[in-house]
Amino acid sequence: MTDIATPAAGRRLSPTFVIGLVLVGLNVAVALTTLVWTPYDPTAMTGGRLAPPSLLHLAGTDRLGRDLFTEIMIGARIALTVGIGAVAIAALIGVSLGLIAAFASRTLDDILVATLDILIAFPTLLLAMLIVAASDGASLGTAILAIGVAASAIVARLTRILARRVLAMDYVTAARVAGTSWIGIVRIHVLPNIWPTLIVNLALQFGLAVIAEASLSYLGLGAPPPNASWGRLLQEAQGTVYTAPFGAVAPGLALLSLVIGLNLTADGLRDIADPTRRTRT
Amino acid sequence: MFAFVGGARRSLSASLMLAAATLALIGAAPAWASEAAVAIGSLYEPQNLDNTAGAGQGINEAFNGNVYEALFRLNDDGSVSPSLVKDYKVSDDGLTYTFTLQPGVAFHSGKPLTAADVKWSIEHVTSADSKSSRKNSLKPIAAIETPDDATVVVKLSSRSISLPYNLSYVWVINDQATDLQSHEDGTGPYALDSWQRGSALALKRFDKYWGAKPENDGVVYKYFSEATALNNALLTGAVDVITSVQSPDSLAQFKDNADFTVAEGKSTTKLILAYNDRVAPFDNIKVRKALARAVDKAKLLSAVWGDYGTLIGSFVPPTDPWYVDLTKVDGYDPASAKALLKEAGYPDGFSFTLDTPNYDPHPLAAQFLQSELAKVGVKVKINVITPNEWYTKIYKAHDFQATLQEHVNHRDIVFYGNPDFYWGYNNPKVVDLIKQSEAAASVDEQTAKLKEANIQIAEDAASNWLYLYPQIVVSKASVSGYPVNGLNSQFFAFGIKKSAD
Repeated sequence: MTDIATPAAGRRLSPTFVIGLVLVGLNVAVALTTLVWTPYDPTAMTGGRLAPPSLLHLAGTDRLGRDLFTEIMIGARIALTVGIGAVAIAALIGVSLGLIAAFASRTLDDILVATLDILIAFPTLLLAMLIVAASDGASLGTAILAIGVAASAIVARLTRILARRVLAMDYVTAARVAGTSWIGIVRIHVLPNIWPTLIVNLALQFGLAVIAEASLSYLGLGAPPPNASWGRLLQEAQGTVYTAPFGAVAPGLALLSLVIGLNLTADGLRDIADPTRRTRT
Repeated sequence: MFAFVGGARRSLSASLMLAAATLALIGAAPAWASEAAVAIGSLYEPQNLDNTAGAGQGINEAFNGNVYEALFRLNDDGSVSPSLVKDYKVSDDGLTYTFTLQPGVAFHSGKPLTAADVKWSIEHVTSADSKSSRKNSLKPIAAIETPDDATVVVKLSSRSISLPYNLSYVWVINDQATDLQSHEDGTGPYALDSWQRGSALALKRFDKYWGAKPENDGVVYKYFSEATALNNALLTGAVDVITSVQSPDSLAQFKDNADFTVAEGKSTTKLILAYNDRVAPFDNIKVRKALARAVDKAKLLSAVWGDYGTLIGSFVPPTDPWYVDLTKVDGYDPASAKALLKEAGYPDGFSFTLDTPNYDPHPLAAQFLQSELAKVGVKVKINVITPNEWYTKIYKAHDFQATLQEHVNHRDIVFYGNPDFYWGYNNPKVVDLIKQSEAAASVDEQTAKLKEANIQIAEDAASNWLYLYPQIVVSKASVSGYPVNGLNSQFFAFGIKKSAD
């Protein structure tokens, strides 16, 4: 509260933002580690059936005797891959469409807005399931595409609204009168003004994409086995939840850590992007 | 809620057509809907109520012997005994069967059973649009005659020793019945009370049943889409008995608990890795034998079932009379698997796509196979599909390299005698043996021929038979009298007794 008046003193990062960054960083570090090292070969059936957590198997083993900790580590990689891929697709499609709608004639704008509204009204997961069903079998690629396309509608609508607000400014009118091309207006005036809000939204979409990926995999529509998605681990642990509860708890905690991390990060980013809301922290 | 109301109205309007005496039944209806009904928990809701219309195994579970009866009954111990047949004669050449029907049998609608109903019912299964998987077995039937109301004469084009067995899954239906996919008109000890799609199917005792009166007033099959939910239903008392437990891990909560009874019976359900034997490399017997030897099935069985289940070396379970222990034919031996692959011309292995149904245990088994086969250089690409896709892509179109599937039927080695079956196994010797076994003059001869066929399919490694499921029924300790073997997924309800909790 006290340092509102003194922005020059440097913004102190809020503790929740730091926690968010640490959680996300941890997941990223684990995901990168799996590229070069995992405790066990993820497909090696080395342990006993449903062994409890021990020093040898930190999270126990699954029914086939595979090390769950290894699978959860790889799950972080899958979750982040899908999240990054989906958010990239959502940003690319969403921002382009949003800008087109913002600049478009009244009729085209109306059509685009109506289409986006329909897409948004469609549950993300259902849309993703339709895309997976329409493509030739489920894969990591279809999951990324499906979640990305579903999220792009939300990004597009946000972009349109933000861009419209900027386009109504006097300095944009001045730029137009001065003959600046629309690409120039986007580059000089629109994007620099809307990106902070967009980044916050994309961070939120990232968290939603991670959950969507877990949900699709839980339903058997995500990356096919043996890709160790957290959703699939949860699904496989469902039948053994009484005898080996840790098999469900461990991937659940992993999923929780990444999604909470992403949401806290998004919150923190919003506070930075929008100083008027910092009074709340 | 809608389904329930609709169902109630339908049964009411049907009842109005009955004779005056039946009005008493309607008056008594609320009593059946009471808590006295035995609640049976199951994972297999039928798609419809007609076993010739692709209804799935759930319809056998709910209706076989309960709502519909056949001329013969497959008992829980695997024997076949007369049901709606009082007596029958076989001509010396084995080509003419004369069945005398039980007297005094009435359908649930009130109409008495006549020979014409039996003729209609058999033709219902053999008709062109019937989807019964056993249609082929009834092919020898050339003509059905009905000299009088109580006599059915079946003429065969060739001998068919298992005709009585094959007739045990031909439901006898009122030949005037319509809309069999959502209504019934059978002769069994229970009549359909209501069917709430997606949740429950209620049967009430049929008071004019010709045979022994059931031990209970009625049963309700309650359907669950998920095993954990089903187990919880038993724990909380929402169901009285679970027809077949699908994982050993859920048993722990019932086993050491005096409130529940765990019964282990014999099942006929086999998990198999079926190749498309028509296409390379699976047309090569050496490749199939190599893959059979490359998989440690005991390890897979214990991963899925813990200490339960049985290993089988072919498609025939120990409850079939032509069972032979063939587990040693292609026992686990990765070294010889590699050698066989080399001989077959695949020294570096090959890769194939495994179409895997999306429900347990298939995805788990697929990953196990992927890991095991990788050790001999064979790469498996897992393609997860829905049961519907399995039916159209694999069963109908034969468009696959290999697939996983559970086969529930009893005495189904005959599928290997059909070269047009989805797996495309075609050994003229086996086709011939299965044909001869059917034409056998005695059961001993039939058994001998099928034993020979059984050994041959094992030698040919026609498919990769992974294991035989256990059949585990769990109930409240106060409930008894249910079948434990689940042959052909039947679940006779008429013997179930429920003492006060």
